[in-house]
Amino acid sequence: MTADIAIEERAAAELRREVARQFGRSLHIRTLDTGSCAACEQEIRLLAAPHYDLHRLGFFFTPAPRHADMLLVTGPMIRAFAVAASKTYEAMPEPKLVVATGACALGGVYPDDAFTYGRVDGVLPVDVWIPGCPPSPLALLQGLLVAVGRLAEKVSGLSFIARSPEGAHEDATAGGAA
Amino acid sequence: MTVTGTTPLSAVAAAADTQGPVVVTDVSAADLAGITKEVARAPGARLADMFADGTDPVMLRLVWALDSDQRYLITQTPIDTDDYPALSDIAPAAFVEECEIYEQFGVRPVGGKPLNRVAIPPPLGQGDIDLPRLGRAPAELPQDVHAPHVVGGQAFEFPFGPVRQVGVESLYYGLVTSGEEVVDLYMFTWHKHRGLEWRTQGKTPAQALFHVERAEGLGAVANGWAFASAAEAALGIEPSAPAQRCRAIALELERLYNHAAAIAALCQACGLAVGRAAAEIALEQLHRLNAAVFGHRYLFGVVDIGGAVVTPDTQALRAGLPDAYGELRRGGEALLATNSFVDRLEATGTVTEEAARRLGLVGPVARASGVAVDTRLDHCYGPYPGQLRLPAGQPGGDALARLKVMLDEVAASVSLVNALLDPVGLEQVGGSDLPGRSGPRSNTSGCEHSANTPVRTRPGRPTGRSGLGWAESSRGESLAWVELDSDGLIRRARLRPAAVRNWRGFDDACRSQNVFTDIPIIEASFWLTVAGLAR
Repeated sequence: MTADIAIEERAAAELRREVARQFGRSLHIRTLDTGSCAACEQEIRLLAAPHYDLHRLGFFFTPAPRHADMLLVTGPMIRAFAVAASKTYEAMPEPKLVVATGACALGGVYPDDAFTYGRVDGVLPVDVWIPGCPPSPLALLQGLLVAVGRLAEKVSGLSFIARSPEGAHEDATAGGAA
Repeated sequence: MTVTGTTPLSAVAAAADTQGPVVVTDVSAADLAGITKEVARAPGARLADMFADGTDPVMLRLVWALDSDQRYLITQTPIDTDDYPALSDIAPAAFVEECEIYEQFGVRPVGGKPLNRVAIPPPLGQGDIDLPRLGRAPAELPQDVHAPHVVGGQAFEFPFGPVRQVGVESLYYGLVTSGEEVVDLYMFTWHKHRGLEWRTQGKTPAQALFHVERAEGLGAVANGWAFASAAEAALGIEPSAPAQRCRAIALELERLYNHAAAIAALCQACGLAVGRAAAEIALEQLHRLNAAVFGHRYLFGVVDIGGAVVTPDTQALRAGLPDAYGELRRGGEALLATNSFVDRLEATGTVTEEAARRLGLVGPVARASGVAVDTRLDHCYGPYPGQLRLPAGQPGGDALARLKVMLDEVAASVSLVNALLDPVGLEQVGGSDLPGRSGPRSNTSGCEHSANTPVRTRPGRPTGRSGLGWAESSRGESLAWVELDSDGLIRRARLRPAAVRNWRGFDDACRSQNVFTDIPIIEASFWLTVAGLAR
């Protein structure tokens, strides 16, 4: 049990450092349900509970896609929902990430048929996949850690950063982390 | 109960000696309105579900819960024409099902009343795949209901959704408001319709159970149990006593975590961060307990057709339950002693007893409105003892009454789990110390029926076997109907989670002199899932 706690603490510290470095302790997440059974939503809500306390790591939930860096998508992408999902994604500013969350989103529950695309990447460009039915809050945290790394790659690939003469990647993040 | 002639009620009376809790009887289309009227007026009878099957003719089935008789009555009526009597004029609880049957089978109630779009989404555009239906498509597609933008020169419709706030399911509200007060509220849930009843066709019950559990993840045990029970009745098998006990323990654990989640959501809706944190600590403990006892935080994969897959770790349960319950109980007591919180819930989202009966509501929502329905008491199934005593509910019908019902049920569930762990104590569940202002309810007559194999008073359909199953979920009565073909594959499965019944009470609750900011509180106090409705 002690070893587990130590591993958890190390992972949390690493995640906190990355979020602070990349996003000035402020990475905002928007959730999107495209046909889930409601279990993934409950696990996502529990990320803010005292056992996990997502805020201590520098993550925050936002109700507005225009303020979001990351879209946490659950469900198998119902075809009737695709327009709403696309509009949500398009409303987010660059750089942005899509995290497919749970077995439905990954294609493990529903096939591609008349009702659903069967997986989130039928409509949205997925960057990170979090398996589980539903993924536990710890699995979600692990997925967020991976996602932060992917977002860092996207940030470094942005044209205004690539053109910067003095290594703007570090500059762009150092101010926020101060 | 008045029993006359050869009506369904007399069929129930005739079946009284046959030890069966489900009575199936045929009713002609010509008699349907009269018989529906008669059963609807019978004391202790409520329309629990209505669904259809087939195409030529469409078989219309009404499931009546005769709670005081501990029986379900199913009437089946072949509909040869394009319409049938408007049953929602007699039993208003039938309206949503009338809409659903029109969408899926193309038959409609006479009179030309407008029918809403319930499940099948509107056409998505040219080149899209036609959406499969359970029967034939309607002649004319039903429409979404919208209020006029101006009502009496004052109100307008405010669209909200389907993408909503963080960590909640997608749902579209059409809020009709004059600026603050909720004048009316419409809901569209077809954005989440996954065609689950259609998906079960042609599968074995064991294969279909995977999707049934995921129809509503927060009710996997209850819905799975109801479905398994229906399939078992169709197959003529009965689970062993230990398997039933295992299911019942899982069901109470499901009730505990759902009530904890509802209390956390209530606190969040009221902006009470400390209360929310306390409830979420208990909620996380309960999920971890589920994982320790049954191997899954949401108890997926516990129920199986004919039994249960997982044997619970009783040691982990005995060790972990007191802590989680203690956390939740302390949080609940603190909440009820917090005046600002209690004031916010009082008179918010009131559902009157008349409305609860009229709409056929179930579970804590009904019990908080003075309608004491609970299938664990009213319809014998599972391992529940003859002297089972449960809280009767609360008067009031508001969000506060629903919170109190949930807190009472938390205590009762813990008592029941402890009793189920102890075979000797199984006959001693409950007692005078159980909470509940009105005093506990009990099924003192005990279980009169040994199995839920239907008693067929007349020959049913010539092919296949069928069965009805039920379980008391944390949201109320969950029902399932399964009909198998000669190869043992599902010909028709009807899934009716409690959410299907109780969402129709939600708009009534929102309309009763509430304002915008009351809606999250009312939604939390109902604690329903969109997934359960848009299955």
